[in-house]
Amino acid sequence: MIKMKRKRVCHFCETGTVYIDFKDERKLLRFLTEQGKIIPRHTSGTCAKHQRQLARAVKRARHLALIPFVADFTR
Amino acid sequence: MAIYESIVILDSLMPPKDIDAAVERFSSIITANKGKIRKVEKWGKKRLAYEIQKKQYGFYVSIEFEGEGDIAKELQNDYNYNDKVLRYLTYRFDKYKLKALRNAEKASEAVSSSAPVTETKPEPPAEADKEAEKANAPAEQPEESTVEEAPSSEEEKE
Repeated sequence: MIKMKRKRVCHFCETGTVYIDFKDERKLLRFLTEQGKIIPRHTSGTCAKHQRQLARAVKRARHLALIPFVADFTR
Repeated sequence: MAIYESIVILDSLMPPKDIDAAVERFSSIITANKGKIRKVEKWGKKRLAYEIQKKQYGFYVSIEFEGEGDIAKELQNDYNYNDKVLRYLTYRFDKYKLKALRNAEKASEAVSSSAPVTETKPEPPAEADKEAEKANAPAEQPEESTVEEAPSSEEEKE
């Protein structure tokens, strides 16, 4: 198997985002799993600087009930 | 003086009058502590992502203010005392948010002053330079095209 080398680029760096707003939950949902967990950096490709900001935004949004802490995942 | 924002989730079953009264009380606390109110926003009734005190809906209000750190404590005392407050969050604008604010201000200034700027620039160069100006104008487009190119190059790799 040839391992595909695919360069992952930070979404926020690409779009030139300065501040990640916790108020628009739709944008944050892109970086959460179905259960509502934060997607790790090595999977999403977010850079360290933005991942730190993102984590803070997600945590604030969770506190304000914009995003669930745990989404029930019924099969 | 730092800029803060306080977001409160109130009981959505409150009559609108009471909500206004509560918002006024909070803003009066800020002004009493030498704070300056920048913005008051009512997001309205929203569905909560999870139940808080057995409630499915909440009324979101955000107050943006400028002032010293002790205002947040005073607000917190009041929020804790009030049964109608389901949740609250007061945070200080960090450097990223401030930078974003400054960028937004700059952009709005640029939009408002874009017409005079473009007029003043063409004056010094002679008529022959007009073609160069035309070349400058579409210079903004390549930025977009580079973004479009990026995904296509990835596809080639695949």
